[in-house]
Amino acid sequence: MEQLFDISLLNSTVRMVTPILLAALGGALCARVGLFNVGLEGLVLIGAFAAIVGNHFTGSLLLAILLAVLCVVLFSLLFAYMAINLKANEIVVGIALNFLAVGLTTFALRTIFEVKGAFYDKNMDGLPSLTLPLIDQIPVVGPIVSGHSPLVYFTFLLVVLMHIYLFKTVSGFRLLATGENPIAAQSMGVKVRRVQYLAVVLCGVFCGLAGAQLSLGQVTMFAEGMTAGRGFIALVAMMLGQSNPSGVMAASLLFGFMDALSIRLQGFSIPTHFTLMLPYVMTIVAMFLFRDKSYLQLAQRGGGSDR
Amino acid sequence: MNNREWATSLLHPLVAVLVGLLAGAFAIWVVGASVIETYAEMWKGAFGSFYFATNTLTRATPIMLAGLGVALAFRAGFFNLGAEGQMVLGAVAAALTALYLPGPGWLKLAAALFAGFLVGGLWSAVAGWLDAAFKLNLLITTLLMNYIAILFAGYLVTEPFKDTTGSAAIAQTPMIDRAAWLPKLFSGMSLHAGFLIAAVAALLLYIIIRHSAFGYEVRMFGYNPSFAAYGGIVRTRVMLISMLASGGLAGLAGTVEVLGMQYRYIDGALTVPGYAWTGLMACLLANSHPLGTALASLLLAALQTGAMGVERNTEVPLEIASVIQAVLILFVSAKFSYSFWKRRKARESHGTTV
Repeated sequence: MEQLFDISLLNSTVRMVTPILLAALGGALCARVGLFNVGLEGLVLIGAFAAIVGNHFTGSLLLAILLAVLCVVLFSLLFAYMAINLKANEIVVGIALNFLAVGLTTFALRTIFEVKGAFYDKNMDGLPSLTLPLIDQIPVVGPIVSGHSPLVYFTFLLVVLMHIYLFKTVSGFRLLATGENPIAAQSMGVKVRRVQYLAVVLCGVFCGLAGAQLSLGQVTMFAEGMTAGRGFIALVAMMLGQSNPSGVMAASLLFGFMDALSIRLQGFSIPTHFTLMLPYVMTIVAMFLFRDKSYLQLAQRGGGSDR
Repeated sequence: MNNREWATSLLHPLVAVLVGLLAGAFAIWVVGASVIETYAEMWKGAFGSFYFATNTLTRATPIMLAGLGVALAFRAGFFNLGAEGQMVLGAVAAALTALYLPGPGWLKLAAALFAGFLVGGLWSAVAGWLDAAFKLNLLITTLLMNYIAILFAGYLVTEPFKDTTGSAAIAQTPMIDRAAWLPKLFSGMSLHAGFLIAAVAALLLYIIIRHSAFGYEVRMFGYNPSFAAYGGIVRTRVMLISMLASGGLAGLAGTVEVLGMQYRYIDGALTVPGYAWTGLMACLLANSHPLGTALASLLLAALQTGAMGVERNTEVPLEIASVIQAVLILFVSAKFSYSFWKRRKARESHGTTV
């Protein structure tokens, strides 16, 4: 711990950013169809728990990830039904979903694994880290980019895919139109509800993957409330990135770096409380520095306060 | 409000409670225990004897105060999700005031109550100010400030103000002088005067919101911000005052718990039971009505103390309470509709209002 900034810090940034980025991309999809999803935190938590359950009982990482995705999609359908069909306030539904996630995971942790607080099994395998054949050899980039779990690479691929989908395909345009003006979209024959459901389900898939990366990629365990506000930080990343995949990625990288830095700083003689505070403080600072009109509109539409 | 409105406004929370209990019954059935037996134990744990009933009231005290704070902010249309951080900072400020202020016990007590209210309120007003002056989304800032406040309070009791006389493993302040404690209401029972403070706060808030000029401004603002602004109500002023009072009530929640129950600030003792978040649930359940929030706090506290009884006497873990609560709130949220939310939905919906 002699050096603060080095290559391994950037390497862990890439690892830490993944759950935030995945959740933020999911949130961005919801925001693009006019739904402000405060439930990201809870969705990721459910994904993290389901991934551990799947891994423990099947022993297969693939099945674990699938189970995580499946469970989270079910919960996002609940969100979609309440917010779209019942027209409930999506912020309140999101908050309720977070409560439900905390309640169900702690309850299930007690009943399935009969432990309190955290579940850890030393025989359980985490996601493997891939060594990229050629890139590995490049001096500085190699050690940063190589050696992550498949989900990390998938996430960055997803940013590209989502960019192409939103801005280059017909279906993506319909999705954007739904968010811009639902009535106009509907009059053009877009099935507004179907598009909204699609966005929420995709958000569920992303959050499921985010949870799997959190509980199987970074550590191989589940702890109560292990998301620790990452879902909320993802919301900020989504707002700062103006729900634009590349912008969301840039904002998430900043917060991932803060996450990595906060862990790195623990080796120095600064009280851990302050190093742990860093990601949250920097998130507020980032909101302050990068405030501009376009994301404000979204924030205002989404709530926080109604003006 | 006429009788019919009363009935419908009461019916929905009651149905929600029923749905929550049904979901709980399902969870109990999945675990493989007897549903009736478990709920019987829950009732006994919450109200089975005078001792248990006062225990429930004790637990309801911080929940009620935090819930009232949230209710005030919600009434004005501000999503203050920072009650937990405000509560913790208020508690630590109260503990330190009671510990280090010289003077007689009653002065320490009064000063500590005031400090708890003030610090919680100021922390909350910071978020209000960030929104009013720089348009930072209040929902997000209050949420993130929770983590900062909890970590900061944790730092205070692990480094500068740590109790060095007792076990080194627990991060806590030294014990507060007995003269500055909130008195117990019954000897040998846990119920303390903080409950009376909470009950008075609920009544006061009800009267203020219904019958004062400021309450009118708050309600107007919640119903229709543009109309309120047109009528000359200054948004920044309403926001700062209601956030100050909202956070202050949350701070008071932590304060009475410190002065009446724990007699010191212990790291995690306020956050682990989730008082602030339960308060928020109570507020949602009661649709931000002050007296309703107080009642809902009692109900949720009873669920929690009841679940402890369940844990003691059956195979079902006490986390059953959080499942019931969450389902209950989810059900409530489906029809949670203030007029200003209705208005927003009307604007967004695909109907004729646009």
